[in-house]
Amino acid sequence: MNKLGRRVVLRGSVGLAAAGTFASPYIARAQAKTASVLWVQGFVKEEDEAFQNLVAAYEKASGNKIDYSLIPFGPAMQKIVAGLTSGDTPDIMFHDIADQAVVPQNTWNDKLIDVSDIVETQKDKFHPTALLASKYYNNVTKQRGFTYVPVKCGVLPFHVWNSMVEKAGFKLADAPKTWDAFWDFFKPMQKKLRETQRNVYVHGLQPTTNGPADGNNTFHHFLIANGGNGIVSPDGEAHLDDPQVKEAVIKSLTYITTSYKEGYVPPGALGWSDADDNNAFHAKQIVMDLDGTISTEVAMIHEKEKYDDAITLKLPNDNAGQPMRAELGAAGAFIAKSAKNVAVAKDFLKYVIQPDNLNLYLKTGLGRWLPPMPHLVKEDPFWLKQDPHRTAYATEGMIDPTVPNYPCFNPGYAEVNAQQVWGIAVADVVKDGMTVQAATDKALKRISTILAKYPVTRS
Amino acid sequence: MTVAVDDAGPAVAVAAAPTSAQRARSARRRLRWWKEAGALGVAVLVLIWTLVPVYNIFMVALESKGDVFTDTIWPSQPSAESFWIVITQGYWYLEHFWHQFGNSVYIGVGTVFFTLAIGSLASFAIGRMRIRYGWVLSNAALLTYVIPASFLAIPFYRIMQIYGLTNNLWSVIAAEVTFATPYAIFIFQQYGTSIPIELDEAARIDGASPFQVYWKIYLPLMAPALVAVGTYALLLAWNEYLYQFLLLSSKQSMSVPVALAQFLNSDEAPWNYMMATAIVYAIPPVAIYYVFRRRMSAGLTMGGVKG
Amino acid sequence: MSTDTLEGAGLLVRPRPPLLGRMWRGGLQGSEWTWAIAFTVPYIALFLAFVAYPVAFGAWLGRDPSLYFELAEDPIFQRTIVNTILYVGIAVNLKMFGALLLSGFFMRRGWWVKGLLLVFVLPWAMPALPAFISIHWMLNGEWGLFNNFLFNVFGIEGPGWLDTSRWLALGAVITSHIWKWMPFWTVILLAGRMAIPQELYEAAEVDGATGLTRFTHVTFPLLANLYLVCTLLSTIFTLGDFNSVYFVSGGGPALSTHVLATLGIRDAFEVARPELGVATVLTALPLMIPLVLILMRKLRTTEVTL
Repeated sequence: MNKLGRRVVLRGSVGLAAAGTFASPYIARAQAKTASVLWVQGFVKEEDEAFQNLVAAYEKASGNKIDYSLIPFGPAMQKIVAGLTSGDTPDIMFHDIADQAVVPQNTWNDKLIDVSDIVETQKDKFHPTALLASKYYNNVTKQRGFTYVPVKCGVLPFHVWNSMVEKAGFKLADAPKTWDAFWDFFKPMQKKLRETQRNVYVHGLQPTTNGPADGNNTFHHFLIANGGNGIVSPDGEAHLDDPQVKEAVIKSLTYITTSYKEGYVPPGALGWSDADDNNAFHAKQIVMDLDGTISTEVAMIHEKEKYDDAITLKLPNDNAGQPMRAELGAAGAFIAKSAKNVAVAKDFLKYVIQPDNLNLYLKTGLGRWLPPMPHLVKEDPFWLKQDPHRTAYATEGMIDPTVPNYPCFNPGYAEVNAQQVWGIAVADVVKDGMTVQAATDKALKRISTILAKYPVTRS
Repeated sequence: MTVAVDDAGPAVAVAAAPTSAQRARSARRRLRWWKEAGALGVAVLVLIWTLVPVYNIFMVALESKGDVFTDTIWPSQPSAESFWIVITQGYWYLEHFWHQFGNSVYIGVGTVFFTLAIGSLASFAIGRMRIRYGWVLSNAALLTYVIPASFLAIPFYRIMQIYGLTNNLWSVIAAEVTFATPYAIFIFQQYGTSIPIELDEAARIDGASPFQVYWKIYLPLMAPALVAVGTYALLLAWNEYLYQFLLLSSKQSMSVPVALAQFLNSDEAPWNYMMATAIVYAIPPVAIYYVFRRRMSAGLTMGGVKG
Repeated sequence: MSTDTLEGAGLLVRPRPPLLGRMWRGGLQGSEWTWAIAFTVPYIALFLAFVAYPVAFGAWLGRDPSLYFELAEDPIFQRTIVNTILYVGIAVNLKMFGALLLSGFFMRRGWWVKGLLLVFVLPWAMPALPAFISIHWMLNGEWGLFNNFLFNVFGIEGPGWLDTSRWLALGAVITSHIWKWMPFWTVILLAGRMAIPQELYEAAEVDGATGLTRFTHVTFPLLANLYLVCTLLSTIFTLGDFNSVYFVSGGGPALSTHVLATLGIRDAFEVARPELGVATVLTALPLMIPLVLILMRKLRTTEVTL
């Protein structure tokens, strides 16, 4: 239940802004200027309201004007790409998955301005993984630099229907603590559940090629669980021939395709779009799901019974018994070189990432995204104490070990993501009957072809 | 089709054995029966084929949110609640529905007006005034179709930025008019061959200016073609998605198809609302088509056969 | 001819028939020329601003030959080419042939035929997006209307139409396209048929022609030109058809049913490489240009040239 009433938050934010409590030295009171902002529309109404409050507070405190557009997730990415191609962009662009899709390549091509000065203002407060996820390689200057301002973070927890687990005669507390065993735990439930429900599946795997991120995220976690995290190392080099990596890929591909072929995954999952897995979960078509953020549960926040029934679990250990490292995705803002009002843009972003502003913004958004600052998570009871969903989620994201997405090491991997190499590999095996070995070789070869276009000088 | 005529009274029929003429007649009657039955069969197939997806739209609109994922082929508890939500803008994604509907109407009307105006003026100049290089213009118009609309989307976006028209309904109108006008010119030219040129000449002798000939003679006689092309242009604009999606980004400027596409990203799958919205959106073009259908078929092919 | 200038000066009044054609031929004089310019300027401006410039810009974006090599190596692109050829070839021909047959059907008399035609045109009049999404849901393997129907009425579990097989999905997309566009071409061919004078049919009947021979000897020769023009136009439109594929199959399963139009948009926006997207669609040019040239020639024969 949302203990934080909306009206309270609204009153609070306006009051605080008016009191100028956060009128930090960074805000320019000089002349009123405007910055245009492209921001992603949230998945729940409250996220948008939180952003609108943030903007209102900034405008009041600084006297500048923010001209913003809230655009849905998919179209926003397309507009950002179109804008960057044509060279006519808003001043600030923000997207939930820009770290995987847009920022790496555009930093490579020297199209984004350096935002180190913004990040510096809170550098000591940011989570190290979030910082890693903000630095990208520029092929013109041949250096890494901050071109991304992390605003919020997300990880992939598990979402499970407790009632369905119990209906099948199991208890969630008995679930094993290692990766493959955890997934296997659900398999016997399918037969029991099918007695009363025709179309139910236990594994909410997302072997999809429909963007932007779910297919890749799913596979990456299996990869990490099987010891293949070294596929791209922080210096930007790819280790596609490393036997450990190859073995991890084979194991991951085997598990996913076997589960699909054995009928534990809805056949339509091959073509699931970003929201389809959530839809399947809400329709109780799947028992559990591995998906980014707690949007799955938050969408039901006003239906108490359902909200309590859906359990959020952080990740079990990996297959070697070690604590599993989750992939931390950073959602953030960036400024293109073609922006016109850079000063105001930077000012706004500095305001946004001030810890209290950030915390308030994310809390109003029902906690769907985590602040990229561990101290906020630890100090504000909202994150770890008030709601079991958030506890699991925040622990996984800010407390337990995490790794960033690979594009921050090598921008070519952003194109690997975009080309849905892993989703295609799964489809090759289940749909076209390729062997796992052949699909692995094909995928690794494709990755190597793509990465060859992005030679990163080792730094 | 021949009409079978029944023979004289029962006495004759009972008394005589069936003659070959009578057998031939009943054979023809049987054949006709089969033909009618066949026609009816075709009609039923056409009806089912056409209406099943439409039925699905209505079914989803009338169901409640969760029912979409069940096994049913009827809505288990039909309710018009979704329509009410749409009309009263009672859902987050639908907050600006009527404004966005107005945008769609604006785009539609703008497209129709400019397609008809520019197309008829151009085809008048080419076909009636017979300007010397008119054929260059009509061929160039056709070249528009060498690269289909969907292919030009990316450059178009950039061009609109250069013209300063992003997020502006006029950019969409410009795009739609660009793709509808060549077809309009083509139809107008074809249709225009059925209007005798003597009428124009008579008017010119009487001292009419070219514009008066256009306005008072050409346009009224072209009415069926104008209606046909106008309807076509309206449906083109109403049907179109890609350009509207690329060129319109804010909630205030979005048209209904773009707003509908938002639903596809939702975590909640309120697809009953989405389909109800779609039905409301579909009413104007369908209504307009039905009002103008007779003029449409007349206007579309005059002259196409004679070639 | 000197009559031109005298006519232009409004001094000469001539009987109408001999002037037929001559008066308007050749150059236009004085104010007429400005009128003609005024009438064509809107279209010329439209063309330059919104066709010539974007096409030039598109060509410039796609100028790098290495893009085409990259495409040639990509297995997805190779599949897409095959899909596009199949899609256009099958959809256009089935659609036009069906339109031809149905236009004959709709020539019948009777109020119920007219009523049926009204219903039949509904797919074209309805907006594309909701119609195709409805079909997409209808064909969902788990909870779509189609499989529910099969299960409830026949007890068979239908396949995942759009999930499991590239060919089923492609078939679904082709069928959706035909569903939407066949009515449009049927109406056009129907109007074409109605323009055939009744006397021809009656003359043929006197000569003993029935059914099929009546079709091949009277109807088809007169419709042939229209049919050809429609087929060409339809091919061009279908090649650029984005909505059907995008909303019905989304290019799936696993990117196997993309056509050039949808792949171009995907490369431009999802892979975030617009120049690759433009290159993808430009590969259709070798097919498009001849088609349009043929169309232009066909149309020119029906016009009176200067």
